[in-house]
Amino acid sequence: MNRIALQDRRPGNAAGDAAIARARQTDDVVVGDEIVRERLSARVVHWSVALTFFLCLFTGLPIWTPYLGFLAGLFGGLHVCRVLHPWIGVAFAATSVLMFGQWVTQMMLTPADRRFITPRGMLEYFEYRNEDADVGKYNGGQKMLFWAAALGAIALLLSGIVMWLPQPVFGQSLRQASYVLHDAAFSLFFAMIIGHIYLGTAAEPGTFRSMVRGTVTKSWAQLHHPRWYREVIGQTSKPEN
Amino acid sequence: MTADGLEVRQSSASVWNSKTELRNLKVVSKLIDTSTCIGCKACEVACQEWNDLHIVPTTQTGTYQTMPGLDANYWNLIQFREKQIGPDFAWLLRKDGCMHCADPGCLKACPAPGAIVQYQNGIVDVNPEACIGCRMCETGCPFDVPRYSESTSKMAKCTLCVDRVQVGLEPACVKSCPTGCLEFGDKSELVAHAKERVEQLKQNGFASAALYDPPGVGGTTVITILAHGDHPEWYGLPKDPHVPTGVSFWKNALRPLGALAIAGSFFAMIGHYLSFGPKKPKETGKPEGGAEQPKGDA
Repeated sequence: MNRIALQDRRPGNAAGDAAIARARQTDDVVVGDEIVRERLSARVVHWSVALTFFLCLFTGLPIWTPYLGFLAGLFGGLHVCRVLHPWIGVAFAATSVLMFGQWVTQMMLTPADRRFITPRGMLEYFEYRNEDADVGKYNGGQKMLFWAAALGAIALLLSGIVMWLPQPVFGQSLRQASYVLHDAAFSLFFAMIIGHIYLGTAAEPGTFRSMVRGTVTKSWAQLHHPRWYREVIGQTSKPEN
Repeated sequence: MTADGLEVRQSSASVWNSKTELRNLKVVSKLIDTSTCIGCKACEVACQEWNDLHIVPTTQTGTYQTMPGLDANYWNLIQFREKQIGPDFAWLLRKDGCMHCADPGCLKACPAPGAIVQYQNGIVDVNPEACIGCRMCETGCPFDVPRYSESTSKMAKCTLCVDRVQVGLEPACVKSCPTGCLEFGDKSELVAHAKERVEQLKQNGFASAALYDPPGVGGTTVITILAHGDHPEWYGLPKDPHVPTGVSFWKNALRPLGALAIAGSFFAMIGHYLSFGPKKPKETGKPEGGAEQPKGDA
């Protein structure tokens, strides 16, 4: 705990290193001007998934198309990619399971989330017209990302196993279907992650630090997750999803 | 091995046109006349010898067949089939091995640049150095020919003795055939010759004799005369082989669509940023983050 606190010393953060260190073990806590949004373990798991995802991506892209064949050079050639890709895929699946476990209870859709993820709700969100929306700690879009990632990871894992260790029992049709599924799932997953990265960085300043330092500012919380902000500040009831 | 003296028609996973056809080399063919094959297996031995393949232990399956099926170390196999045709009994022999399709599904499925090469003369060859052993070619082949070698982690199959062909020799199997049921030469000439032979078979009581040169894969370099040409499946040959739909859909449609989705997502996000910019708290109008604290906070 002390070690973490020492690393966190910086000017202007007089709220107390000890408090921050404590808060890093938990979340939904106010620390000075900030709110701890993601505890350390959640961030570690998230970045483990991200790391394995990108390693899978960069070892898989040169196999996907020769136009990105130069990426194979990062790992020592296409042969190395072919060997690494399935093993990193296993690591990706394993970290995805951890991530699923840590967030699943917080990712249940509420009626407000269901309104959020309608085409109209999403349009309002992307046009910044939904500032009074009843958004808890995670909005409907984030929850959909969570479920889509879980589904995508399952599709990639199952099809990947068939591709990796083809058995006579699988049959040609199943193997061909696996290529199609793996390819489709990867394309959609990557397209989705591009949106995820954009929203977490450029589009919504102040979001990225919630996954790095674990904290967000109060004004950020008020803007993006008003219901969660009220719950954390008021501390009247245990924060809902 | 790839043959240096030959022109390349197409190469697997090529980014751009891989064609090097400058010279006008003839399209070759190997004709298999199953009606004159006596199942002596001289071609199998010649194949093993020329290609320096070491035979692996086999399994007795109740026929005269050397191996249950093709192997990474066994590229040429005479298949023995017993068939009751009406009151008659037929012993159907077929020489199993790579057909060297004009439209090779293995090459289509292969993700490794230059691992599968089709020469201008029609031979489909494997370059083991470029092969990454992903086994995708297995699913592209309508004839179930490519075999994965556990010892080398690479694919292997008949090369039609491209190393012999490029110096003007016929493949080893053809060289060894004692009945002349294997012939090698210019494809158009061999097709004409095969049609004569088919007519001969028809006159001799095999009314449905035919030449197996399936158009679904653009024709094959290895063409086969079948006495029962209306039933290629009796010989273990697919009736209408083509590059599997799964493979052509995956490579021709899904991959470009996926690229479109990825690029679309990327450009949509750029477009969104240009249109709406970052979403900042109203009170300050400044991007927050870092140590900077918005004024109207709490």
